[in-house]
Amino acid sequence: MAEEKEEKKPDQGYWAYVWRQFKKNKTAVVSLYVVIFLVLIAIFAPFLANEKPLICKYHGETYFPVVKDVAVGFGIGQFKPEFQNVNWRKLDYDYVIFPPVPYLPMNQDNDNVHSKGPFDEQVIESKRWKHWFGTDELGRDVLAGMIHGTSIAMTVGIVSMAIASLIGIILGALAGFFGDDNFRISRVRLWGNFLFLYFAFFYAFGTRSYAITDALGQSIGGGVLQLLISFLIFIAVMALGNLLCYPLKKIGVLGKQVSVPFDLIISRSIEVLNSIPTLFLILLIIAIVRKPNLYVIMAIIGLTGWTGIARFIRAELLRIRSLEYIEAAQSLGYSNMRILFRHAIPNSLSPVLISIAFGIASAILTESTLSFLGLGPADTVTWGALLSYARQIPQAWWLAIFPGFAIFITVTVFNLIGEGLTDAMDPRLKQ
Amino acid sequence: MKPVEVETSKEKTESGTKFKASISFPLFGYILKRILLFIPTLFIISLLTFILISIAPGDPAETMLNRNSGGGEGGQATNKMATEKSYQQLRHKLGLDLPLFYFTLSNGAACDTLNRIPQKDHRETLDRLIYDYGNWPQVSEYYRSTRNLEWKILTSERDSLNANALIELRNNISKLFITHNDRLIESVFSKIEKDVNETSTLAALKAPTAKAKADYEKMKSEQTVWKRYIPTIFWNGSNNQYHRWLLGDAKWFGGETDPTKTFGFLRGDFGISFFTKRPVGSVIWDSLMITMLISLLVIVIEYLIAIPLGVAAAVRRNSAFDSISTVTLFVLYSLPNFWIGTMAIFFLASPDYVELFPPAFGLSGINWQDGFFLKLGDMAYDLALPIIIASYASFAYLSRQMRGSMLSILRQDYIRTAFAKGLEPKKVFWKHAFRNSLLPIITIFAYFFPALIGGSIILEYLFNIPGLGQVTYAAVIQKDYPMILTTTMFAAILTLVGYLVADILYAVVDPRISYSKKA
Repeated sequence: MAEEKEEKKPDQGYWAYVWRQFKKNKTAVVSLYVVIFLVLIAIFAPFLANEKPLICKYHGETYFPVVKDVAVGFGIGQFKPEFQNVNWRKLDYDYVIFPPVPYLPMNQDNDNVHSKGPFDEQVIESKRWKHWFGTDELGRDVLAGMIHGTSIAMTVGIVSMAIASLIGIILGALAGFFGDDNFRISRVRLWGNFLFLYFAFFYAFGTRSYAITDALGQSIGGGVLQLLISFLIFIAVMALGNLLCYPLKKIGVLGKQVSVPFDLIISRSIEVLNSIPTLFLILLIIAIVRKPNLYVIMAIIGLTGWTGIARFIRAELLRIRSLEYIEAAQSLGYSNMRILFRHAIPNSLSPVLISIAFGIASAILTESTLSFLGLGPADTVTWGALLSYARQIPQAWWLAIFPGFAIFITVTVFNLIGEGLTDAMDPRLKQ
Repeated sequence: MKPVEVETSKEKTESGTKFKASISFPLFGYILKRILLFIPTLFIISLLTFILISIAPGDPAETMLNRNSGGGEGGQATNKMATEKSYQQLRHKLGLDLPLFYFTLSNGAACDTLNRIPQKDHRETLDRLIYDYGNWPQVSEYYRSTRNLEWKILTSERDSLNANALIELRNNISKLFITHNDRLIESVFSKIEKDVNETSTLAALKAPTAKAKADYEKMKSEQTVWKRYIPTIFWNGSNNQYHRWLLGDAKWFGGETDPTKTFGFLRGDFGISFFTKRPVGSVIWDSLMITMLISLLVIVIEYLIAIPLGVAAAVRRNSAFDSISTVTLFVLYSLPNFWIGTMAIFFLASPDYVELFPPAFGLSGINWQDGFFLKLGDMAYDLALPIIIASYASFAYLSRQMRGSMLSILRQDYIRTAFAKGLEPKKVFWKHAFRNSLLPIITIFAYFFPALIGGSIILEYLFNIPGLGQVTYAAVIQKDYPMILTTTMFAAILTLVGYLVADILYAVVDPRISYSKKA
C-alpha cells in the first residue's frame, strides 16, 4: 500500500497523504473534534465538576482549592488543617468562584435524595446549585458523574488499548515475520530457554513471593523496588542461561540449528483466546479478583483484547517480509531483530491505527458493560454504573438517557474515526 | 478471485453435481479432523480456566459451610471439633485435599501435602513459616504440638479458679495459627506460659506448652532457608484435582457404587454448585437450551432481514434509499445494546410509559401446561423484545457487509459481461452477483455465534432470561467456581462449533473451496 503512493507523489510522505484523505471525510473530522472535546473534558474533569471552589478568598488570603486538590491527589502537599473535613459551600468567603458543576460524583446531596429529575422540584438555594441532569437514588449529581465518567472512559479506552497494541504488535510481528521456520537457533538454546524461563520465574518471583507481597503491603515504593529487583534477577538468569549455551553449542547434536515455530505457538494461542467469548473470559478473571478496581479492569481488557491487532500485524508482516527492501536489509547483513523492529514493524503500523480506533470504542463499551452489570471499578462513578441505576428506579428517565447517550456518542465517534482512517488508507479510493 | 459464473445453466448443474460427488467424503473427513483439533484447544482452555479458578482467593468449602450454618461460634471444644470435622469431610468430598495437578513445581523447602490441612488460614501461616525457615519437618512438628496444646486447652475442665485464664488461653492459642511474626509468637507463648504457670488447676497444660515452645525454638534454630532455592518437582500421579475434575475417580466400567466418587467432566459430571448445591449439569442444560434457542432465532432473523436490505442498498447505489439506510444502519450498529435494552424496558415495557411488551421477567409468562401453540405464542410475546435487542446491532453490521460485498462483486468484469449479453438485471443481480457476494457474509457467521453467546450475558441480565449468560453472571457474583468452569467450557465448545459450521457452510456455498487437499 504505502510504497505505491510514495511512487506517485514522491514529494509527500505517507502520513501527509493519509491526513489529506482523512480531512476529506467530513464526518470523520467532526468525530475527531468530538474526541478532542471529550479528552479535554476528561483532563479538566476536576475543574469542571468539584465541590471545592476554583478560586476563593478566605480570611484575606487567595486559594486555588481545586488545583491544590489535584496536587494532593498526586501526593504533593496537603490541605491546611482548617480546610480538612469542611463543607466548602458553607465557608465564609470574601469572594469565591465555584466550578460550573459544583458537585462531586461520589458525594451525596442530602437535600435531593431519591432521584430528583431535571424538571422536578429540587431543594436548592439558587439556580447555581441546580442538578441539571438530576440526581440518583442517593442524591449524587448525575452531571458530575458524567463529567468524571468521561475521564474514566477515556482512560480505560486509551490505556487498555495501549496494553493490547503492545502485546498484539510484538506477538503478531514475531508470528508474521519469522513464520514457523525463519527464526533458527541451536537446539540447546531452544530447549534451554524453556528451562531458563522456569528457573528465571522461580528465582525472580517464586522464591521471592513473600518478599514482594510484604513490601507491597508496606508501601507502593518498596513494592515497586522489590518487583524491579525481581525483574533484574529474571533478566540475569535468562542471560546467564543463554551464555551457558555457547560452549554447549559445540557439541554436534545440541548445536544443530532448529527453527522456533513462532507462528504455530502464537496463532494457536490466539485461537484458544478467541474460542472463549470475550465477556465470559473477562467475567472469569473478574470472578477471581478480590475487588476489581480501575487498574485491574484496564489490565483485563488489555490482556484479552490483543488478538485482533496481532492477527492484523501478522498478516501485514507476512506480506512485508517478502518485499525487496527487507531482502536488501538482509543482504546488508543486518540482524533479524534490527530488520524487524527498525524496518518491518514501522511500515506495518498504519493499519494498526485503524484497529486501535475501533479497539478504543470496544474497550469503552466493554468497560461500560461491566459497570452496567455491577462488575466494574467499585471506587468510581462510571457511565455504565449510572445507567445501571436506571434499572432500579423506573421513573428516573434521566438516568437512562444521559449516560447511555454519552456511551453511544463516544463509541460512535471512535468508530467513525476508524471508518475514516480505513477510507483514507484504502488505495482503491485513490483517484 | 476468478469469475466462475459465466457458464450456461446446463454446464453449471453438471459441475454442481460433480462437486457434490467429489466433496461429500473429503468434507466429512475435514469435519472429523476439525473435531479432533478441538481436543487440544479445549484441553488448554480447561487447563487455563482450572488454574485461574484454583488461584482464586477464598476457600470454597468454607464458603459452603458458612452458607449452611451461618458461621459457627465455635467456642466449645466439641462444637469446634465438629465444625472442623465436617469441614474436612466437605473438603474431601470436593476433592480439595488433593494436589492441583499431575505434578507440582515447587522448591526444596515446600511441603507437598499442605493441601490436606483443612483450615485455610492455617495453611497460609504454615506456608509462610516454611518460606521463612525452610524446614518442613520442624514446622510440622511445631504445628502438631500447638494443635495438641489447643486440644488440651479446649478440653480442660473449667472451674472457678481457671475461668479467666482459660478464656485468655483460648484466645491466645488461636493467634498462633494465624501469625508467622516471631515477636508476636514469642509474646503469645509468654502469655500462655504465664497463665499456665499461675493457675494451679491447669498444671496438666504445662508439658504440652513446654513441648510447643521447645518445638518453636527448634524450628527457629534448625533453619534450612537454602532449601528454598532448590527447584523441585513433585509427582502427584493421577490422584489430583484436575484429573478428578476431567475424568473423575469413579470406575469406568462395571458401575460405581460409592456415591462420593465423581465421574468427571468428560463423563458428564460437572460437579456440584457451591451455591445451590445441585449438580451443575442439571442447571446448565436448561439454560443452554434457552440460550441456543434465542441465538439461533436471532441469527435466522438477522440473515433474513439483513441480506435483502444489503442487496437492495447495493443495487440502488447512491440513491436516497441507499444513503438513508447506510446512515441508519451505522447509527444502529453503534448503539450499545444494553442502553437500548434499558431504554426499551423503560419506555416500551413499563406501565409508566407505553406497555407494548411484557415487563422483563424472562420466561415467567409461560404456563408450561398450556398447549404447544399457546406456549409458542407466550414465548414469542416474552422473547420479542430480547430478540429485537439482540439482533439489531449485528443485523446492521451484517447488512453493511452485504452491501459492501455486493458492491465489490458488481464492479467485476463478468457482471459487466452479463449485462452486455443482455441478461435481465434481476437475473444478473440475484443469480450472478448475489451468490458470489454471499461468501464473506457466511464467514461472518463464525464471529456472530460467539458474539451472541458472549452477548447473552448482558441480554439475559437485562431481560431476566434464565439462560447460560445469566447462570454465568450469577455464578460470577456468587463465586460459584464449578459453575463458572462449566459455563466457560460450554461457551468455548459452542464457539468452536460455530467456527466449524461457518467453515462447512463456506464449502457448501463455494464449490471452489475444497478441504480435501488442505493439510
